[in-house]
This record gives sequence, structure tokens and C-alpha cells, in this order.
Amino acid sequence: MARAPLLAAREVSKSFFGNPVLRDVSIALQPGRVHALLGENGAGKSTLINLLSGALRPDGGAIEVDGRPVSRMTPACAQQAGIAVVQQELSLTASLSIAENIGLGAYPRRFGLLDYPELAVRARAACDLVGLHEPLSMPVGHLSLGRRQMVEIAKALYRRPRVLILDEPTSSLSATETKVLTELLETLRGEGIAILYISHRLNEVMALCQHVTILKDGTCTADRSLEGTDAAGLVRLMVGRDPGDLFPHWQPSASAANAISVRNFSAGLMRDVDLDIRTGEVLGIGGLVGQGQEDLLLGLYGAMAARTASATVNGASGLPSGVPKANALGLAYVPADRKREGLHLIHSIITNMMLPAFARLPALKLRSRHAERETARGLAAQLGIKGDLDRPAQALSGGNQQKVALAKWMPHDPLVLLLNDPTRGVDVETKREIYMMLRNFAATGKAVVLLSSDTPELVHLCDRVAVVREGRIVAMLERGALSEEAIVSAAMGAEQRKVAA
Amino acid sequence: MSVVDPSRQAGALYWPVQLRRNVGVRGLFAVVMAFLVAYGFLFPGLLTASGFAKFTQSWFPLALVAMAQAILMLTGGISLAIGAMVSLGAVIAATTMTGPLGVAGGAAAVTLTGVGIGAATGFIVVKLRLPAIVVTLAGSFIIGGAALLILPRPGGAIPEWLSDLLAGNTPAAFVLLVLIVLLWKLYLATPLGLSLYAAGENPVGAYRSGVPVDGARIAAYAISGLLCTGAGLFVAAQTGSGDPVIGTAFTLNSIAAAVLGGIGFLGGQGTMRGALAGSLLLSLMISVMFFLGFTPVAQYVAQGLIIIGAVAIPQFRKVQQ
Amino acid sequence: MTAWKETVGGRRALTILRSRPFLTVAIVAGVWIAASFTSRGFGSYGHLRYLVELAAVIGLVAAGQTFVVIAGGIDLSVAAIVTVSAVSLPLLSWQADPTGLTAVLAVLALTTTIGLVNGLGVALLRVHPMIMTLAMATFLQGLLIIIAGGSAVTAENPLVRWLGNARPAGIPAGVLLWVAVSVIVLAAMHATSFGARLFAMGANPLAATLSGVPVASTTLAVYGISGFTSGLAGVLVLGMNGQGYVGIGDPYLLASIAAVVLGGTSILGGLGTYAGTIPGAILLVTITALITVVNASPGWRSILFGSLILGLLLLSGREQARR
Repeated sequence: MARAPLLAAREVSKSFFGNPVLRDVSIALQPGRVHALLGENGAGKSTLINLLSGALRPDGGAIEVDGRPVSRMTPACAQQAGIAVVQQELSLTASLSIAENIGLGAYPRRFGLLDYPELAVRARAACDLVGLHEPLSMPVGHLSLGRRQMVEIAKALYRRPRVLILDEPTSSLSATETKVLTELLETLRGEGIAILYISHRLNEVMALCQHVTILKDGTCTADRSLEGTDAAGLVRLMVGRDPGDLFPHWQPSASAANAISVRNFSAGLMRDVDLDIRTGEVLGIGGLVGQGQEDLLLGLYGAMAARTASATVNGASGLPSGVPKANALGLAYVPADRKREGLHLIHSIITNMMLPAFARLPALKLRSRHAERETARGLAAQLGIKGDLDRPAQALSGGNQQKVALAKWMPHDPLVLLLNDPTRGVDVETKREIYMMLRNFAATGKAVVLLSSDTPELVHLCDRVAVVREGRIVAMLERGALSEEAIVSAAMGAEQRKVAA
Repeated sequence: MSVVDPSRQAGALYWPVQLRRNVGVRGLFAVVMAFLVAYGFLFPGLLTASGFAKFTQSWFPLALVAMAQAILMLTGGISLAIGAMVSLGAVIAATTMTGPLGVAGGAAAVTLTGVGIGAATGFIVVKLRLPAIVVTLAGSFIIGGAALLILPRPGGAIPEWLSDLLAGNTPAAFVLLVLIVLLWKLYLATPLGLSLYAAGENPVGAYRSGVPVDGARIAAYAISGLLCTGAGLFVAAQTGSGDPVIGTAFTLNSIAAAVLGGIGFLGGQGTMRGALAGSLLLSLMISVMFFLGFTPVAQYVAQGLIIIGAVAIPQFRKVQQ
Repeated sequence: MTAWKETVGGRRALTILRSRPFLTVAIVAGVWIAASFTSRGFGSYGHLRYLVELAAVIGLVAAGQTFVVIAGGIDLSVAAIVTVSAVSLPLLSWQADPTGLTAVLAVLALTTTIGLVNGLGVALLRVHPMIMTLAMATFLQGLLIIIAGGSAVTAENPLVRWLGNARPAGIPAGVLLWVAVSVIVLAAMHATSFGARLFAMGANPLAATLSGVPVASTTLAVYGISGFTSGLAGVLVLGMNGQGYVGIGDPYLLASIAAVVLGGTSILGGLGTYAGTIPGAILLVTITALITVVNASPGWRSILFGSLILGLLLLSGREQARR
């Protein structure tokens, strides 16, 4: 191919705090091609995107636009070159309207003022492309996470990009929204736009992309056409060995005894729910994003006001009145957003692991640094967290951060583990380790409640799955009846769909 | 599916956006209106020309400092030097306007000082990455010291015609306030102005979107400084002279007004109309206490209680839900 | 040559040398040495002792402030609480107790209660700490003028006088008090689970809540401690001054926050140590002393004070970007 790529990185390197994150990585984005970028968490994908979009500057190597090296790439400069990025972490402002967010940083002007009519026309066009029909004047803060993601994509399209970079765009999208996006990307590709697509969902990648670059530990292990490859082969390149089976072998371990039993439970969006959680089982909670699943967990955990007609939690009657009470009853919660809710990023890994202990011990009990270090070392060894435990938690990759968020509860031997989407944005290898842990946990007679947006996970890991829609449990699927179709159709309210259409 | 002609929808974006911004402050507006009506009944003088003039004049400086504080809080900053800036504005006005510089020169000096000190503060906070609260606390000593240097004890003078114009029996304060609000609307309709919200709430995202985050924040500090010294000029005109510590109470009151108006401490939360309503509410409360014969000391006590109450009650209700 | 850096002891030494508290100590030492050469009498034992004695008051106020700031809040009512303590104690000194201890304890109970009210507002009513404590300061100021009026009140309390003037073994009693408080504060901060909770709350309150940290009661305790140490500082300043008056506590608001920040504690919460606040307090007093030596007008003194603090912050107080 003689044509110069629209955007390319030539042997770029980057390190943070002396740790190399990328080493001599090259990538070339060609017009009319959807290029997949794969790799485990911490492989350097986000860093590469930030280099390509000018948010970071490489330590070595060059970024090229249309074959010409650019010496000082900045976000503004990238924008001028027609590069648009949909980041994993949203760049939206909740208090501004949809239109104002879409145009942010590239507003049309008239006499120095923002040209609202022009903005409306162009923002509407971008919204139509992604199927956003909400009024343009609506503040973004009023939208659900999935809709915000669509605004983010519309924001990128508004800039009429020649190069579109998408970092896990589908992680918070519903099935319908994902379909809209896939079709859109096909169209854009047809128009000659170069697309870089990052996802942990391999079936999406196989369906959508033509070319793939795989990163492992900051180096490029593959740069090839997707033709003639299969998902297993890709995983092998990412992980560096054969994938094997992602899910552990399922064995029934549930008993008849209830760990938690609630009647007419209401919290947040959840209304009048009856639920029994048995010891020794992995109970899945499924459904579309934002139907009240999270409120169910938080209500049980005492972190959100909840009402019930009757409740029994590990033998005690009534719901825990607060988190310390819930912990005392043997409940532990692992939040979905580990950066905001799970970890103390600026504190050391040891401190993060020991926090539940600090919360439980008498306030004036003297600490033993030595004992803390020993406990933390044991947990790190058990979960395969390598390196200096005195590093701040923010130095860890996403998967390892998730392990720390889980590990900190282990010394307290919880009876019920409430997990909120523990594998979101986590690489395959860590996923496998987490699944193994959860099954083993259930096998020792504890209960696991697994809220997940990943349907295969629910099907293969759980003993039962409760599907939540509009604040109610609309289906309780037993192991025998579990399938992706069953979960999705219950989640979408398939039986009502004909009436609504 | 509704099929709306895109061009028609396009023409109407600005006003729907403005309307949506009212949603959060409706309750506050209702409270302020109720207070205004009650105040009008208690003191019918409000509806006469001179009563209205007096009322807006007592509100005006508070409205300006509330705006000055709100701009900073929208960007995620704060200033504890508001009072000192007001004092500095007052003493500069009182020492220059009757001197060789004249009224125009004095006004220019007040303006330049406000913008200059504001921009310098902004530069230190934004570019040198020092916490705003500490910078402005230290800054309040420097600025307060400068005010003491210019005028060690109350004195100086403001030309009588200017005092009469601004603080006499005229609606000048109200007209000025309307003008300032219009200018603010205009600023908020520029890309830099609107970026304030993004820079305050999600600076990383805003930077990645190509917003000049640092520029927007420094500009906010400069505007804030200007509003403060402007309020100082007005206060000097009201009293007819300068006083190097006259602004002290404005620091707390500016924060109180902004918070009453629904401006959050984390940046990007709230609206300027809310802050103005908050300042009006505070001003009404102070006036009512004055007319009811509270001593200035008792006013302090009551004010402390009212502020905590006003901030706590909505929070409390939220928790209850 | 770099081999010693690889040993455990070497690494630890390097960490200490690079730490912010150490930097603040170094600045204090540097300023003291420089000032001793240029200004007669500055370096005498008596003068340095006097400086540390003055620093004790700031150090006590800043002890509570350090707790509050590390836990993610701020206490803007400390100055008013110092005044409450210094003004109400003379009013309470009744004859029945010859030692004066009862009155001191009563005042400390009062200031701790004021702190707890701050904590209640922040923890239960969810009022922003800045608003809560500023409003408390306004409230107290009004109350003080009503109670004490404009005149100064003289302390007759023997314990207070002893605290302000006695020098057991040549060391001022106030400094001894400060040393005792410092030891307790450092132990509570770095060697107890209570201390660990503070750091967690300051760095990420939501994650702390979900990890089971009792956030409300800890917040309450932190503001209560701040009220207590401010009250203690008020007792000491009354003893050193002999008289209490409205406004006696005013210098200690900026001083306490500046000492905390100069000592390397992040104003955003979650990071820091009282070990830095101690030299921070001494540094502040030193600056003030140097400015007094210059013998300038109040305006210039204020400007110099503000500028020096700003300059020192630029030298050492820059926040790391977080996110």
C-alpha cells in the first residue's frame, strides 16, 4: 500500500515514574479500515491512545499525521488534524446541555459569541447518527450512563473526524445501543474514515474489525489482518499462552439454608422485592444497565436507605442499619467503580488492603506495621499481585486494582460477598482468576451475589440468576434454564415488546 | 417518533437551555419572592422610588461579591480575599478620585487593580498549582496590607456628585446591576465563558476536548477581582470616604450568598442566577434584622444560624428521601 | 557510591531526607542560622526559647487543624474558639477551687462541645465544613461581644498563670504542654486505627464509607479534637498574655492553616503528618519575629507576612495533580 496512513505512531515509547509502559510500539491507521487494538489491562492501550490524541507526549519515537511527523502534538492540534477520541472516562460536563457538551472545545462562533442555531443544527445531525433523540437542551447529568456514552460518541462525530478512536465504547451500552453503534461504524468506514477500536469483547472485534494490533506488557505482539484468525488465537497473543476455558467447572454447592432473606424490599429504584440468597451459591443479578440492581446491593449492604416487611441477614433479623453493621454481620461489598468507590488511589497498596481492618478495630487500638505487612504480603501472594506493596494503588493496572478491592475483605472471612460488576474493564487473565475465586468461595459454603453486565459470565458462573427490570425481579432463572437468550429476553421484557411496538 | 423540522428546532436551543437552568433554582426563587412580598408589606417604603433606590443600594455590593465568589466556585476554586479586595477597591477610589487622576482615572485604577490582582491570583493558583484557599488566605494579608498602606485610617473622599449619582436618590445601582448581569450573560455565551463549567467540573475531560482550561480559570479570577474592587468603589461612594477594613464582612457573606444560591464547592455546580438570588435573600434578611432593631452583634449571631439552617435544611431533606 | 541507597536503612534515610517535614525543619534551621548572623540577639537561647513558646500556641491550634484537614475538612472557627476560651476562662474563675483546674476543665469541655457542634453540622446535616465553621465563627463572634463586651478581662486563675509563666527546668510550661500534646497527636495519627481512618476519609470518603469506616462518628471526633486543642491554645495564650479580649485569637486562623500546609499536609486531605506541622508552626513564628525586627508599618508587616507565606508555599507546598 503506497498511501500514507492518516495517523501513525512510529516506535513510540513512554514511561511513568520510571516504569516503561510502552516500548517501541508502532501502529498505522489506514482510511476505510476498522483497526482493533487489543491487550490486557495494563498492556499500554490507554497510553497509546493518549499519545495518538496528543494528551500525552512520547518519550521516544514520533507521531505522524498523513505521513509527516508532528513535533508537539496537543489535543487542540489533534483536533485540527481531524482526530477524535471517545475516551473510556467520559469527558462530559453534567451541568451543561447535550448540545453544549457535544460542541465543547469546538463551538461555532458568530461575532465571538457561541452560535446557538448553528450548534443546534450540527449537534442534532451528530445525535441523529447515534440515535440520540433526547432534547438537545437537556443537561447531561439527567442521562443514564449508556446515554452519556452515546453523547460522547456524538461529540466525537460532531468534529467530523478523519480518524476516530474509540476506547471500550460498548462497556456501558445496552444491546440496542451497541447495534446502532456497530452499524454506524460500518457506515463511517465506508466513508473512508480510519477507526481505532478498543474492546474486551472479542466477538464484537471479530465482527467489526479488519486489522488488529495486540499489545502485551507494552510491546507489540501482533500487527496483522484479522482474516484467518479466531478468537482463541487472539487471546493467545494477548495472554502469551493458550486460553483454555475462561470459566471454572461448575459444581453445585448451594445448600437449602438462606444467608439472606428479604420480603417486600425497597431501596432506590427497587420496589417490593422478595429475595432469598442461599449459602453456597453464586446468585447472579442481571438486566439492562440502571434498572435498580445496584440499589439492591447497596440496600442490603446498609449503604442506602431501604425498607422491608421482614428481613433475615445471617441469622440476625432486620437489614443492617449501616455499613459497619453490615460488615459485622459478615457482608462485604466490592463496588463497580474501583477508582471512585473501591480504592484510595493515593494510598499504598498495604493501607488499601488493611482498611476494613482499621474500620473494625477499636479506634484507639495500636497498629502493628509488621503484622499489617505480613497480612498484606499473604493476600498479595494469594491473589498474584506482584511488586512493591508500598506503591500507591494508582500505580496498579485496572485488573490488579480490582484484585486489591477484593483482597481487602478476605482477612475478615465474609459470609456474603456482594459484587458489583467485578470484571468490568478487566483483562481475560484476571477475569479467570476472579471467577475461580468466586466459585471456590461458594464451595466453602459462603454466598456470592454477582451483579454483572456481562451475560456469559452470568450464564456460566451462577447457580441462579435474578433478572431485574424497572426495579423488580422479573425472572428467577435456575441453573437448568440459564442461557444468554433467556436472560436477555427477560431483561428486555420480550413478552411485552410486541404490545409496545 | 416525532418528526420536527430541524431548522425550526435549531432556532430554539438557547432559550430551552436557559429554561432548564431555572429548574434547580425554582424553589429558591419562590422563597426570595415570598421574602420580597413580606418585606414589601412590612416596609411599604420599598415601592416608592427612594425606598427602591435604598434597597437596591444595600443589595448591590453583596450581589457583586456573590457573583465574584460564584465565578470562582464554578471553576472549582474559592477566594478568602474577597473582603480585602473590596477594602482595597474602596481606598483606591477614595484616594484617587478627588486627586489629579480624577473620577475617570480613579475608576481606571480601581478596574486595573481588580483585574491585575485577580489575574495574578489566578496565575498562582492555576499555573503554579497551589491550593486556592491557602493562596487567597495569604493574599488577603497582602491585599489588606496594601489597603492599609494606601490609607492607614478611614479617610479620603469621593466626589459628592458621584456619591449622589451612585448612592443618592437614583436607581443607578439597579441599572448597573442589570447591566452587569447582561454582560455576564454575554460572557457566558462566549466559548471561553461557557468553558467555565467544563473546566470546573471535569477539567481533564475539558482539556482533552480542546478547551483552554487554564485560560478559562485565570479569566475567572480576573473577572472576580474586578467585581470585588468594583464593589469597593461603590461602598466608598455610599460612605463618601474610604476605610481600609470596610470589606471584611464580605468574605463570609459572599460564600454564604453563593452557597444559599445553590453553588457547590466542587466546581461546575450551580448558576449565577442562583447566586444572585442567594445574595438578595441574604440582603433581605440583614435588612429585616436591621429594621426589627437587632443590634449589629445580634445580627452576627442570627446570621450564623440562618446560614447553617439554610444550607442544612435542603441537605437534610435530601437525606430523608 | 550509590550502594548505600540500596540498603534498607539507606532507603529509609533517603525517604526521610526527601520528606516534606524534613524540608520544613531544614528551612527553619537555615532561617535561624542566617538570622543569628545578621540580627543581634536573634540566636540567643532566650530568644529562641521565646520563639518556640510562641509557636506552642500555633502548634496547639494547628494540631486540631491537622486532624481536620487530613480527614478532608477544614476548621475556620479555630480563631473564634481560641477567643472563646481566653475570654470565658477569667469569667469562670471562681474561688472554690484554689488550683483553678475546674475552671480550665470547664472551658475545655465548652470548646470541645463547640467543636462537636461543628462536627454534627458537617457529619449529620452535611453542611460543607467551610460554611459550617465560618458560620460558627460568625455566631461565636457575636456571642462573645454580647458576653464580654469590648473590654479586656484579666485572668486570676493560678493554673493558667503557671502555664503562661512557669519554667520548670528552664523550659516554659507551655512548651512542655506542646511536647506532651505532640506525642499524643502523633501517636493517635500514625499508630492507631483511628488515625488510619482519618487518612482514608480524607483521600476518598465514599470508598471509606463502603469499606465500613464509621465516617460520621470519626468526623465528629475530629472536630471535637479541634475544639479541644483550640481551647487549650486559648488557655495558654491567656496565661502568656495575662488578659483575654475579643480578637485575641484572630491571628491563629491563618497561622494554623499555614502551619499545616507548610508542613506538607495536603489541604485536599488524605496525606500529611503533624510531624510537619510542628516545624511549620516554628517557621511561622520565626517569620513574624523577623518582620517585627524590620520595624515596619502595620500595612507593610501584613504584606510581608502574606508574601513570605506565599513564597514558602511556592517553595514547598505545591499540590501534586490528582485524578
